[in-house]
Amino acid sequence: MRQHRGVGTHILTVEDDERIRQAVKLALEEEGWDVTEAGTGESAMDAFTDNPPDVVLIDINLPGMDGFEVCRQLRRESDVPIIMVTARADTHDVVAGLEAGADDYMTKPFAPKELSARIRAMLRRSRNAEQGNMQRVKVGELEISPEEGMVMQGETEVHLTKTEFKLLCELASQPGKVFSREVLLERVWGYDYFGDGRLVDVHIRRLRTKVEPDAASPRYVVTARGLGYKLQP
Amino acid sequence: MATSSNPEPHWLGSRRRLLGRIIGLRARVSLSYALGALLLSTGVAVSTFVLAQRQLLAETEEVAIDQMFRNARDLRRDLLFEAAAAEIPVFLEGLVRTNNAQVLLLPRGGEPRSLSGLEIEDIPVDLRAQVIPGQAAKKHFQTNEGGQFASGVFISQIDAEYYEILPMTEFEGTLATLRRILIGASATATILGAGLGYYLARRILQPVTNAAEAAEAIASGDFDTQLDEQSDPDLAKLTRSFNDMVEALRSRIERDERFASDVSHELRSPLMTLAASVEVLEHRRDEMPEAARRATDLLSKDLRRFQRLVEDLLEISRLDAGAVQLENDTFEVMEFLRRVVAQSRTPGVPVETEEFGALILTADKRRLHQVISNLLDNARKYAGGATLILVALHNDRVRVSVIDEGPGVDPADRLSIFDRFSRAGGDAGRRDIAKGVGLGLSLVAEHVRLHGGRIWVDGQTPTGRGARFVLELPGIEVDATGEMEELAT
Repeated sequence: MRQHRGVGTHILTVEDDERIRQAVKLALEEEGWDVTEAGTGESAMDAFTDNPPDVVLIDINLPGMDGFEVCRQLRRESDVPIIMVTARADTHDVVAGLEAGADDYMTKPFAPKELSARIRAMLRRSRNAEQGNMQRVKVGELEISPEEGMVMQGETEVHLTKTEFKLLCELASQPGKVFSREVLLERVWGYDYFGDGRLVDVHIRRLRTKVEPDAASPRYVVTARGLGYKLQP
Repeated sequence: MATSSNPEPHWLGSRRRLLGRIIGLRARVSLSYALGALLLSTGVAVSTFVLAQRQLLAETEEVAIDQMFRNARDLRRDLLFEAAAAEIPVFLEGLVRTNNAQVLLLPRGGEPRSLSGLEIEDIPVDLRAQVIPGQAAKKHFQTNEGGQFASGVFISQIDAEYYEILPMTEFEGTLATLRRILIGASATATILGAGLGYYLARRILQPVTNAAEAAEAIASGDFDTQLDEQSDPDLAKLTRSFNDMVEALRSRIERDERFASDVSHELRSPLMTLAASVEVLEHRRDEMPEAARRATDLLSKDLRRFQRLVEDLLEISRLDAGAVQLENDTFEVMEFLRRVVAQSRTPGVPVETEEFGALILTADKRRLHQVISNLLDNARKYAGGATLILVALHNDRVRVSVIDEGPGVDPADRLSIFDRFSRAGGDAGRRDIAKGVGLGLSLVAEHVRLHGGRIWVDGQTPTGRGARFVLELPGIEVDATGEMEELAT
């Protein structure tokens, strides 16, 4: 191996097609990651408990327990970054996967190089999210502490995934200013201009259910019509 | 101007025709009712008027003649006993004169006596001709002041003609009022008739309207649409067969979609294995002997082409199955185009416009990205690359022209170039596939059509050489004021 970009970083791939699993494992190992494979949702849950990975890659079409369910179960016990693999970009699968708790998605057939780039962006995100060098921000009852990686809603701590936290920190970096989907995709997900705006929309929705007293009429994370989102000071 | 697609989807046209037909029928029924009401009410009004006129005339005449006789009797009595000529005006003064009737007493061989300046010339000659021999007579005639009714009698005892002339202005006024009332009533009845017709037509045509609305919903992809069950046996048949048709259509489209998605899955799985494996090979390229290295290069290049072709085919089959829904976004056109160009294999193509303000477009960004990339690719492969992208507003639409200075497109091929595996340019069909755009332009056309826009190719380039692909899209807004909200930097 000539590249060791991801030494020690452990990826769990959940894919039922034997040959795809092998080929993706080969290619990811070539990129320098440690890879564990699982052929079913059930075995993925076991593998996750035995040897917790840094990133999980889940194919949506699994026999038995499907990818969405795996995603939901994982989310119940962990905020590990999850990438969904879907057949197409324009199906409801993408939104359903994101709503089940995935952080990002890839469509088949993808280039493992591209997947590696996404994984790197994700890991950078979770590290940044913990470190941060931002001041503490308080809007209304909501208090965001980037350094501690903590969000308080009044007296209670709000539990966010790494991506949700990074998203909220981005918005909180300039309260009152509007962030377009493109800017958020670039800063939170590391995408260029042509990233999928639904990533932002679904994550905003998820974020609202956690930080808003009433997610249907948001007080903090508000939509700027046609432009993007902002944190209402 | 050659266009590859209609300005609007064909089902939209048929929907207009369908609606037009319903409105037409509705209008026809309303018109029939209005006409019926008009004829009926006019008939009633005219006969009412004629009868009333006759009745009123008879009454007026009777009253006038009655009075004339009574006055003549009074004059006879008064003048028989006290025939002092000087006192005649006093007697005349004492007569009952309703409705401003004018009276004239004409003693034979004496002075005519009247009040209010009635003269002997005012009495119609033929009336006098009847009265003088001793008959009572009457006559209608016209003067400058309007209709007049004259009646007269010869009072033999005092040897004098006696006339009364009654102006008919009151009678005519009454008739005019009656006429106005009747015309008003007819008009009201006609309008009510039209309203009733419209209401009835609407009620009767409601099932057809419902069917049209349902068909419209189905055409726009909502296959859950069903018509409500009807109790009327005639309508029940329509409803049943309509619902059956929708069901058949739905299952057919579902089958097509499922097939496309099955094929998609079946093709993607081996492609995924191939893509991952080829990447491993590429990674180890330097460790390979020369022949294996060349084989790897060939493999990876054609794998990309194959992937592209599969993607295009699947997209086409989804489009054919009507399974593609646009995911609309709102974005600024110039920035979008510059980004697309920067990502393309000809990143130096200038993007220009003479419009002012931000051009905000609502469209499916991912598909539009594909459309522009395909056009740029096409220019790169056949014309040495695009030389300019021009953006202009045309009415309420935006036109994006991708211009090159290549050999241009033969006018005969300007429509067929958007066909699948187009054979434009002789044996170019095979060459197209080899170069990887066998479906590119036809996909471009389909996507543009889906957006409600159109695309065509012509030779109107600034230099007069090469080809110009013009993409025309709706959904553009110009924001000259700049952003209302403050953007994060």
